[in-house]
Amino acid sequence: MSIEVKDLSFRYGKIVALDGVTMRLGEGAVGLLGPNGAGKSTLLRILLGFLVPERGEGTVLDYDIRRDQAMIRRSVGYMPESDCFIAGMDAVTFTSYFGELSGMPRQEAMKRAHEVLFYVGLGEARYRLLDTYSAGMKQRLKLAQALVHDPKILFLDEPTSNLDPTGRAEILELIRDISVHKSIQVLLSSHILDDIESLCETVVILNKGRLAAEGRMADLRAIHYSLYELRIKGDGSAFRKDLESAGSRVEEMEDGLIKIYMPEGADRMDLFRAAARTGVQMRYFVKSRTSLEDLFAGVVGVD
Amino acid sequence: MAIVREKGYTHWNGQLVERRFPWAPIARTGVRLAFRKKGFKFVFAMAFMPSFVFLVTLYISERLEDFKGFVQGNTALLNVDPNYFKLFLTSGFVLFSLLLVLVFAAAGLIAEDLKHNSLQLYFARPIGKKDYILGKMSVVAFFILILVALPWLLLVVFKLIFAGNFKFFLQYPWLPLSILGYSLLLTVFLGCYVLLLSAVSRNTRYVIVLIFGVYYFSSVLAEILKKAFGSPYMALFSIPADLQQAGAALFGQKLPLAIPAFWSFLILAGICVLAAAVLNRKIRSVEVIK
Amino acid sequence: MTAVISASHLSKWYGNVLGLNDISLELEEGITGLLGPNGAGKSTFMKLVTGQMKPAIGTVAIRGRRVWNDPEIFQGIGFCPEQDVFYEDMTGSEFLAGLLRFYGFPKKEIDDRAARALDVVDLTADKDRLIRGYSRGMRQRIKFAQAIAHDPGILILDEPLSGLDPLGKRKLIKLIKGFKDEGRTVIVSSHVLPEIEALTSQIVLIHQGQILAQGDIPYIRELIEAHPHQISVRSSDPRALAARFVGDRSIQKMTFAADGQTLVVETHKRDEFFGRLTGIVLEGGIEVDEISSPDDNLQAVFEYLVGK
Repeated sequence: MSIEVKDLSFRYGKIVALDGVTMRLGEGAVGLLGPNGAGKSTLLRILLGFLVPERGEGTVLDYDIRRDQAMIRRSVGYMPESDCFIAGMDAVTFTSYFGELSGMPRQEAMKRAHEVLFYVGLGEARYRLLDTYSAGMKQRLKLAQALVHDPKILFLDEPTSNLDPTGRAEILELIRDISVHKSIQVLLSSHILDDIESLCETVVILNKGRLAAEGRMADLRAIHYSLYELRIKGDGSAFRKDLESAGSRVEEMEDGLIKIYMPEGADRMDLFRAAARTGVQMRYFVKSRTSLEDLFAGVVGVD
Repeated sequence: MAIVREKGYTHWNGQLVERRFPWAPIARTGVRLAFRKKGFKFVFAMAFMPSFVFLVTLYISERLEDFKGFVQGNTALLNVDPNYFKLFLTSGFVLFSLLLVLVFAAAGLIAEDLKHNSLQLYFARPIGKKDYILGKMSVVAFFILILVALPWLLLVVFKLIFAGNFKFFLQYPWLPLSILGYSLLLTVFLGCYVLLLSAVSRNTRYVIVLIFGVYYFSSVLAEILKKAFGSPYMALFSIPADLQQAGAALFGQKLPLAIPAFWSFLILAGICVLAAAVLNRKIRSVEVIK
Repeated sequence: MTAVISASHLSKWYGNVLGLNDISLELEEGITGLLGPNGAGKSTFMKLVTGQMKPAIGTVAIRGRRVWNDPEIFQGIGFCPEQDVFYEDMTGSEFLAGLLRFYGFPKKEIDDRAARALDVVDLTADKDRLIRGYSRGMRQRIKFAQAIAHDPGILILDEPLSGLDPLGKRKLIKLIKGFKDEGRTVIVSSHVLPEIEALTSQIVLIHQGQILAQGDIPYIRELIEAHPHQISVRSSDPRALAARFVGDRSIQKMTFAADGQTLVVETHKRDEFFGRLTGIVLEGGIEVDEISSPDDNLQAVFEYLVGK
């Protein structure tokens, strides 16, 4: 388990930011979700070793969050949400500077800076002044400084904000590579559910300082074993009648999506048989799962 | 045998070092960035001018006969003693050139980090507020000591060389200590002063205006208050005056203001304390994540 | 149907820098998504439509009336810009009321409208707090409130969902869809393509100052011939499935995914493929888990058109 916390609590004056959060996070990318003010930033601050919790204890990479804060910050990389850079520097200087501050010897930091800059795609531009960088490049730079000291955990805060669709796809690809192939634990905080869905296996949802949900996405998003979603091409009414006569309930959504509730113990291939019988093409077929959005709404309890 | 390495990210097997001075990279980088600024090298070189002029007068004072025609009866002014040192080293021009150098090298030290939000990158590292401030302060200290302690101590050495004997040193053995003391005073005070102003605004240009403005305006303010209230203590409001008072005290000379030197030291120390308080507040490592 | 917004040979330069190059389009009622890479010209287009800039060449008109220098048109347009700049020392309701005064409403109506707009974006509780104290999400919502407060028939929204948490986004999406149902016209620009997809299937894609594509997303996808359609089938026996399709000339490419269960097929003739799929699956006794089209979405369309 790389992150284990028990009963974490913290208050800013009268405001309760975290109230008894307990969780254990291990392999795989973790998504951190929650409405604004839910305590995500406070949790991140404690995990990153900035804040000492009022109550509760925990370890990050086996370092105690109260006593070994400096050690935690050595082994953790943080990619902040807001823009941050230092004017008058080029990417190599910038990256190796922060590598040195993380505790790397000077020559090693320089060497790593070059490697990491190539990895994030800034190889060609690494001698240029940061002032000339575009938004997408600045984002990659932030990722580079988070990786230069080879952290075991990477905290990413809204990594795709302000990026255009191409930039977004590229950063997501990088993060996916880091998470899947490079055995670095990724903790991603984001409001863009699609990013979380495509990158994370585990999800932590905070609400009002408490843990509202925690677990593998596959487990949390209840799979309805007898509810299927389809799109077809062909004579929908005949298909529908066929299915209803076999005991299924059919619902048609306004955008053409068809939801089918099959009776208990039914064989899903019956749907295909019905399609063959009525001359209809099956173009989209999935077992219905709660969308991450619905999970979020259900768990946070508003609406 | 063949080796194929996969392109892309590789893990680093190195060891992280525990530095004795974790803030050393901050200091080093600060100095490097200063030298990269356009025009800084010129300003920096120019700041050595006063010391160079002093050196020339030292030479002239030792070879008065050679320059008799040139000097023409102003020999009194060329009597080199601690008072002479004090007059020169606490002069307004020297302070101005120091401020000019600092304005290039240090005005943006903290302002830029505040403006571009880079504090969060610093504090996500195993360094604390103290390290950050010490590192930034070291940048100022480096420039001041190089412009002040180093050349001035050398001036004493040159005086001895030009005189050809140790008489001067034996006469005033505590002079180097005075020089050191005054250099340290300048380093600490100017360091606090500049960092205080740099932390107050996000805009480096504004900080530059403040550095000169507050310094010179304080004299104006002191004059006004002196006229209004008639008390010589009003001169304490003037930072240049306080520096000169403290300098005079350290060189064991007659004080330019009609008040005890203790007050000037107090004011200068007060500003340093204020700087510490402001820096402590402005650099909130906890707010790294919004 | 008369176009609500129409542009004809619309062009704009900033000195040497190209903003828009000869854009001609007609936008109908309903929600249209505006997308494109950074610097493509989206903001320029929005500024021209909202009358903040004058076209260098060409015209842009709303219901036939040219926008430039026509203050009356602004009554019917609500603009929610991307930038986060406010009068920090005003309260939320002061801000709204202040802006509403520009429209010439009588005082009583201003208060009503402001209150309604605040209610719609859920900021009634915070209306008397200074904007300086608002969170990012609240600032976004007050921006939206000022765009709708005067009841415009046309809404132009630049990144309206940024800064909102998932529930906030959901609410706003519902709201925007509600506007569409009321018969208003909405133009939404966003970089987060799944969010545009959640709002509409009509898009305009701008690239390098020109329109690269306009219309219905699936229809555009259909037209992109260079990229055959991808269809992904997860089943109990992907290889048996592949074996049965391998002789089919309509299939361009078959790939087995890393999970060992999924077959990804690329074909230009989707109709033929789907037509045969059901039969083959049943014949072979193959249990199908999932059928989907991974590149039948806006992100793929974007990537194919804009390219790397």
